[in-house]
Amino acid sequence: MSELMIDAVEVRKTFGDVTALDGVSVAVPTGTVHGLLGHNGAGKTTLVNVLTTLFAPTGGSAAVAGFDVVRDAAEVRRRIGVTGQFASVDEDLTGTQNLVLLGRLLGAGRREASQRAVELLELFGLTEAADRPAQGYSGGMRRKLDLASSLVGRPDVVFLDEPTTGLDPESRLGMWDVVLNLVAGGTTVLLTTQYLDEADRLADTITVLAEGEVVAAGTAAELKDRVGRRTVSATLADAADIVPALDTLRRAGLEPLQSGRTLTAAVGSSRALAVVVRALDDAGIEADELGLHEPTLDDVYLTLTGARP
Amino acid sequence: MTALATKSSAARVRPTGSGVLTQVQVLTGRALRRLRDPRMIVLSMLQPLIMLTLFSQVFRSIANSPGFPAGVSYIDYVLPAILVTTASQAAMWSGAGLATDLRNGALARFRTLPISMASVLVGRSVFDLVRSATQLIVLLVAGAMLFGYAPTGGVPGTALALLIGLAVGTGLSWVFIALACWMRNVELMQMVGFVVIFPLMFASSAFVPIAELPSWMRLIAIINPLSYAIDAARGWALAQPAWGATIGALLTAAALTVVAGAIASRGVRRP
Repeated sequence: MSELMIDAVEVRKTFGDVTALDGVSVAVPTGTVHGLLGHNGAGKTTLVNVLTTLFAPTGGSAAVAGFDVVRDAAEVRRRIGVTGQFASVDEDLTGTQNLVLLGRLLGAGRREASQRAVELLELFGLTEAADRPAQGYSGGMRRKLDLASSLVGRPDVVFLDEPTTGLDPESRLGMWDVVLNLVAGGTTVLLTTQYLDEADRLADTITVLAEGEVVAAGTAAELKDRVGRRTVSATLADAADIVPALDTLRRAGLEPLQSGRTLTAAVGSSRALAVVVRALDDAGIEADELGLHEPTLDDVYLTLTGARP
Repeated sequence: MTALATKSSAARVRPTGSGVLTQVQVLTGRALRRLRDPRMIVLSMLQPLIMLTLFSQVFRSIANSPGFPAGVSYIDYVLPAILVTTASQAAMWSGAGLATDLRNGALARFRTLPISMASVLVGRSVFDLVRSATQLIVLLVAGAMLFGYAPTGGVPGTALALLIGLAVGTGLSWVFIALACWMRNVELMQMVGFVVIFPLMFASSAFVPIAELPSWMRLIAIINPLSYAIDAARGWALAQPAWGATIGALLTAAALTVVAGAIASRGVRRP
């Protein structure tokens, strides 16, 4: 098996006049989680559809598990699991029936398929609901069943299209656990998300998409470095100190901004915190609170996509 | 949760993909499960029964008109035709049902599996066939018990009429399945169904002899393929075999199935 589980090169996809993907390249090493980050309409789902053999790309090429998504689509389908934005479980069937049906379609015998269903229902905590029609499942349970459905065939790579959209916080954390467990077992995961904390928490590498193009790619740390806006903030104990404190920080070579009793300044390195502390201390200014803030993925996202014409 | 990680657990499901026969069998079973809902059965049986009652009673006097075959009761004349029109209407519903499935994503996962999407459609079609057959049998039983249906062709003739109805219904259902695969809009499907099926039903030999229709409608009735199917079904039921119409109806149904089936299989792959 190749080292790259997903290898998309300059993928283009147009629908009539609309360009959904304009030369997107994504490389995902085996056994890692890759996050596709972007707004609605950025091209995330289109890329997933190309990688899962649903759309043939208009240009470029893509391979999943070493197989071309167009020429060897059938081979690709044997190795992938897909959980879409719309939970595609069969409402009329029970949890067990849903999973057995898929097992049978994937080539398992009746017994094997039932065994696998029991296994998966247990893993997702759905054993009690196993024999109830999926119609009566809550949103979180349905999503779990949907994800379980995509794992029936023990795929090498799992595509999760916005797996936690619309879930309550608890279900969301549960879903994160599932993803982390999948990866621990050697499965490669590609997930799309609009949630920056989700990508930050789960993804080894991230591709930021906007209007069908890659605007940034790398690890979460690399992306933060690229934006490079660490800030120091100091909340003064005494409002009378505001003006002298601003002067002090300017003398220390910073460009402070003021909001109430809180001063903030962009800094280059984490050493800057010590500089600020010493400068304020030397000037005899007391601060209630001092902090160094790493840029969040929100900053990254807004900087990278906001700067585009 | 950690067991999720181990690839060597007890149940070995290898995604080799199943054979087409298994696929069709499993997917037909999935579709047929819907029939276990008693409300569904009662409602789908009620509609053709209402049609039968209305037509056999409202148009009864047509049997006295000069163009009507002598010595034939209206129920014996109209019930074989209603077999064909009921099966044709059912075809419309199969399109609407599939469009719903396609709309709400129920079939989305199947596209990412190593299976043939044609199997999904065949499963749907077999489901429609079973439902249709049940409807037609209920119609025949009701016709015989309530309205005195007893044609000269007897049970064998009626059975042939039933088979012709089912063949035509299946051919038409593939047309609507193909439409559903490309249009994916339930309301639109129902409109198209209404616009296509109702004129075909009435501008035909179904309820009155073609000679009794206004001349412009007679023209439509003569070129209307449904007329042939109706003539064929009626011919067998009344022990007056119409070989030409029978062969024509069966060939048309087969051609529709093949052509629409190919178009549908292409369309259903689109996400």
